[in-house]
Amino acid sequence: MIIRFALAKGRVAKKAIELLVALGYIFEDYSEKSRKLIFTDTTGTVEFFLVKSPDVPIYVEKGAADIGIVGKDVLMEHPAQVYEMLNLNIGRCKMCVAGFKDRPILYGKKLVVGTKYPVIAKEYFHTKGQSVDIIKLNGSVELAPLIGLSDCIVDIVESGNTLKENGLNVLEEICDISSRLIVNQVSLKTKHELIDPIIKEFKTQL
Amino acid sequence: MLFNYTIDGFENIQHQDYFSLQKIINKLMSLYRSYGYHQISTPTFETYDLYVHEDSIPSDDLFKLVNHQGKVLVLKPDATLPITRMAAMNHPNSDEIIKYSYQTNIYRNFSSPEMVKKEITQIGIEYFGNNSPECDGEVIALAILSLLEYGIKDVHIDLGHVGFINYLFDELALSPKAKETLFRYIENKNIGDIAAYLDQLKLSTDKKEIILKLPTLYGKPKTVLKDMKELCINEKMEWVVEQISEIYHHLEVMELSKYVIFDLGFTNQMNYYTDINFKGYISNCGEPVISGGRYNNLSEKFGIPRPACGFAIDLLKVIDYMEQENLLPQDDQSRNVIFYNCTDKAAAYQVAEKFRANGSIAEVFLIKGTWEDHVHSLRKNQLYKNAKLYLLSEGNLYTENNNQLLPLDSVDTESEVQ
Repeated sequence: MIIRFALAKGRVAKKAIELLVALGYIFEDYSEKSRKLIFTDTTGTVEFFLVKSPDVPIYVEKGAADIGIVGKDVLMEHPAQVYEMLNLNIGRCKMCVAGFKDRPILYGKKLVVGTKYPVIAKEYFHTKGQSVDIIKLNGSVELAPLIGLSDCIVDIVESGNTLKENGLNVLEEICDISSRLIVNQVSLKTKHELIDPIIKEFKTQL
Repeated sequence: MLFNYTIDGFENIQHQDYFSLQKIINKLMSLYRSYGYHQISTPTFETYDLYVHEDSIPSDDLFKLVNHQGKVLVLKPDATLPITRMAAMNHPNSDEIIKYSYQTNIYRNFSSPEMVKKEITQIGIEYFGNNSPECDGEVIALAILSLLEYGIKDVHIDLGHVGFINYLFDELALSPKAKETLFRYIENKNIGDIAAYLDQLKLSTDKKEIILKLPTLYGKPKTVLKDMKELCINEKMEWVVEQISEIYHHLEVMELSKYVIFDLGFTNQMNYYTDINFKGYISNCGEPVISGGRYNNLSEKFGIPRPACGFAIDLLKVIDYMEQENLLPQDDQSRNVIFYNCTDKAAAYQVAEKFRANGSIAEVFLIKGTWEDHVHSLRKNQLYKNAKLYLLSEGNLYTENNNQLLPLDSVDTESEVQ
């Protein structure tokens, strides 16, 4: 039996692979430039593949991967039937509402929000009783308020540099984001002799 | 011109799969029958009112339609509720034991954009009027046997009891919001977020410790039972431990305990279970194929308080798995096709009858063009892949073998017993 990891491409994957290596797994054929899709460790008990982050919960929910490592933002935006077993505390950042400092959010008036996270944005403003128009964007969200497409944006903020360079500020913090280790609900039960120790090892690494 | 598309979430069942499906249904039905269950069926349409107050199925997931009187109907979204009503209507005496089995399609209007099946073929049982661990044991045993029946080996039953968490939370006086949040985290085994959330709550440290242990209560039954005993803070929780260990003992007696693992992380958010609940898994099949449990409060809604326990199997999911593993029952009945020239019609139909009398399939066609054309087109047709071809011409019978016609004295009358 083999344990399969689905990792979200990007900076989180790098840290996740470092964690796996720190646990003693050796991936000989892995390098950042490699075009291979699946990497198996030398003992043949663990393999991982890299996919776009919103796909990680899908792979894990359907059982194509046993374990996934992906940001909380993705899990909130694309809820999946998986066990969310560990907060790995890597890739930490905040989900924020950002806009112009001199133009704070006027609650009660309809707000136009540009975001890559329509579900999270809608949920957040909904619980505040604020009516919003959500514009789903796929990148460079900071542009939206600058050219008048939206009043504010909802996005993840790590250092805040991109915001600062574009004259934007964090107006409200929605929640903390960090990478989570998720597990397929069936795998945890059917492969528990293999998965339990891996989770324990991850825990001790934290 | 009609367009040949299907609606998302609805599928045709191909003939090979349908054959397997029927075989499996028949076999499972006779299994349930041998345990005393009576097969029943309820209507495809239900009134919307029946489900609107039922939290277990979100209203958005119902297929609704309006009848000629303006009444809102739904396509049956679950089997248990109508069967519970049927039991309540036909058996008004609460003490009666009623064992029903069913096979039905249910419909859920899932809004998810992915290709999720919205028509689900279920088979299952409902056992009314028995509140004993033996009843729970029998229901779980039949769930396991249903999968074993067809040679599936990697069967896992995940058994929990919603009472354990509920009786603990009853004592903690949590707000409904806090309860719901904790339930969600516990179901997701999200220990990290539970810890963070508990920090905001005014609870004693030892109670917090217990809540933090809840998501870890899964795995080998004996170990989990031991851990559960240590967490009990009231008699009701102890009662749960006793119940679940008796059920486990029952399964040991049935020699099925090796298929069972415990998971006390199930809650009754979004379902009507009041005591045990369980899910059935097959290795390498990422989603549960069986779901069941005890629902002692449902029948009361129809005026007859009566305990009940049951399960449903998602048949098409099981068949998908069996197809991958080559476990599907094959259609091995022999198929014969007889061609005849118009003068031999009577003889051709006699030959066909002879095949049918012996339990084979026989079809008869009049030759219109050349014999070779008929053979050629039939050989291309997947539906006649293994068919044997015969030709009746001027009173003589021939059989086809590698495009050669061989004369036959009479048809092979070897009997095929199904």
